[in-house]
Amino acid sequence: MGIFDIFLLEAVVNGLLLGGVLALLALGLNLIFGVIDVVWICYAELVMIGMYAIYYFASAYGWPLWLAVPAAIAVVAVLGVLLHVLVISPLLGAEPINQLLATGGVLFFLQSFATVAFGIEFRNLGLRLPVIEVGDIFISYARLLAFGCALAGMLAVWLFLSRTYTGTAIRAISQDRQIMALMGVDTRRIYLITSAVGGGLAGLAACLLVLQYDVHPFVGLSFGPIIFMICVMGGLGNMLGGFIAAFIFAELISVGGLFLDLEWGYVFAFVFFIAMMFVRPEGLLARRS
Amino acid sequence: MDLTRRQAAAGLAAMAVAIRPPGAWAQQKVFKIGVVYDYTGPLAGGGSALHALGAKIIIDHFIAQGGVEGYKIEAIYADAQSKPEVAINESVRLIEQEKVDMLLGFFSSAQCVPVAARIEQLRKYMWITTCIASTVLENRNLRFVFRPQPAGRQFGEASTDFVAAYAKEKFGKDPKDTNVAIIYEDGAYGVDVSRGNEEGAKRNGLKVVLKEGYSATAPDLSALVTKLRRARPDVILHTGYNPDITLFLRQAREGGLRFRALIGHGAGYGVPDKLREALGQDVVGFFNVDPISIWLANQASLAPGLADMVRSIGEAYDKAQPGTGVRSAHVGMAASNTYLFFTQVLPRAIRQYGGIDAEALRKASVDIDLPEGGTMLGFGARFNADGPMAGQNARAFPVIVEYTADGTDVVWPRSQAKRPPTLPLPAGNPYALR
Repeated sequence: MGIFDIFLLEAVVNGLLLGGVLALLALGLNLIFGVIDVVWICYAELVMIGMYAIYYFASAYGWPLWLAVPAAIAVVAVLGVLLHVLVISPLLGAEPINQLLATGGVLFFLQSFATVAFGIEFRNLGLRLPVIEVGDIFISYARLLAFGCALAGMLAVWLFLSRTYTGTAIRAISQDRQIMALMGVDTRRIYLITSAVGGGLAGLAACLLVLQYDVHPFVGLSFGPIIFMICVMGGLGNMLGGFIAAFIFAELISVGGLFLDLEWGYVFAFVFFIAMMFVRPEGLLARRS
Repeated sequence: MDLTRRQAAAGLAAMAVAIRPPGAWAQQKVFKIGVVYDYTGPLAGGGSALHALGAKIIIDHFIAQGGVEGYKIEAIYADAQSKPEVAINESVRLIEQEKVDMLLGFFSSAQCVPVAARIEQLRKYMWITTCIASTVLENRNLRFVFRPQPAGRQFGEASTDFVAAYAKEKFGKDPKDTNVAIIYEDGAYGVDVSRGNEEGAKRNGLKVVLKEGYSATAPDLSALVTKLRRARPDVILHTGYNPDITLFLRQAREGGLRFRALIGHGAGYGVPDKLREALGQDVVGFFNVDPISIWLANQASLAPGLADMVRSIGEAYDKAQPGTGVRSAHVGMAASNTYLFFTQVLPRAIRQYGGIDAEALRKASVDIDLPEGGTMLGFGARFNADGPMAGQNARAFPVIVEYTADGTDVVWPRSQAKRPPTLPLPAGNPYALR
């Protein structure tokens, strides 16, 4: 095999598509941290609940996908609001470690809740999406969809933050949440909107992940740590940084795994993460020092 | 007549003794059994819960019939939560706090390896119904750990024997020209089976074009698919749990991976219903190495009484999980292995070795000498008392089944086969080499 062959190109394309999935997952988490300054450690578990929502709507209740998808997004958006009202809001002034532990507790709560409520069975929509073949390269339809949605989601969030009054208020709060309250902005309302948008993005990610992954109460374990690392590497709260970090991470996994053992791809990604923590501890595109 | 308080109490006690039903004293002898499986976590849906069900059906059967040899059976169930450290802690808790007489169960080899060592230290008896990695027993000289299951190495060798036997006839290739790829989850179970694959391939002269491990929780296996496409194997030998198997097969389909045959090795491949649910009829023509499903075993070849027991287990299974399409081999596997303990080990320990302690149970275990057909899984039972695989049932063997449109058929070994295998994968299958 030459170093540059069709399989390397395929690995690069696969990395890009995986990057899209990871970028979409990181987007909501970064938005929440950027505005509310709290890390939702349980973010991947919200995605898991979203996957169950779409499974039940589409498979168990037989709703068409065009209805099941927005309904599932709405469920997770509401869950995001509930998470803020019940867990985050009382701890807004608390030490960061307490906030982290609280959302960590929610993580275990959601896993246990899903085990009791939905059982331990692996569930899936049973969809078999078409295969896209370009030359000798095969492209995953589900991944392509996720990639497109990640780009669209990023654009939509950017437009929302830059072109709307609420978005401007959210950005202002992310810069100084104390002063904005003094200037008459209803910070509570902004937090609720941000939580809903963050939850909705988790719901959107869930709708795309369920096309490719079985849903079970512990599916979040496959993504949670990686999403968190991507957000840290991109600079917690920095959406563009998270976006770029997701693609770097995914390419390291995909291309590294092609040339060496699969596990080495992950080793490279983690080593790169550690190295970056030394070189740029504030993240690739730091939002603040 | 005036009775003192003490005399009254003595009288009441005497009455209580007098009205106790005959045999009630004997019923006070209790055999406490600690049962450990994964009831939560990824392994639960990957097959562990089905094994737990199989074991429970048998335990409930013996509880309902009043126990064994005058001992009442009491089971305490513990959840290993798909985590080795929890399995160890729960096992120790069952022994030290619940005072169980033995442990039974264990789905994951990653749990069995450390738990077996700990149980041996505590000089307690452990009966493994499921986990198959050879490393659980190999060169460890364990005295109180027994496994009726075939070992992982046997699983790996069975699939390569199968490929080599049919390569010329079905693929038109000599074994030396037949390319096989070995992919596996990188836990104790996958690594052990993959070693069996590698040794079997070497012995049979098959050409290994790729051997690759991966984490069962990996979020992406597309790099593995690309590597397989590059290696162009005729046959893929795969060992994995359930979420990773469906992820791999989905990504393989989307990634344009084609092959002549795919052979799984238990765990996730032992739940064909779930694979069909996820992948539809695309899985028809795939193979799986496992102990035979008790419902597919040749009932006429089984020892007297076992066929009735198979039927009864099936009824209990249907009652516990109504609507099951194909009865999973997992349930029957754990049920058969648990039944073997309750019919061969426990009564023998009580009758011949005077008790239920680990030493008596060990002696009873190594005394077992059942010919082929002596268990519901079709194989016999004879445990190695010592040697490199002490505690292993030397008469256990796996079979290979082929997924059909609505069930599974045994296709290997030839002595157990219902029909010859469908090889290569039919042209209509999206994974079939074109």
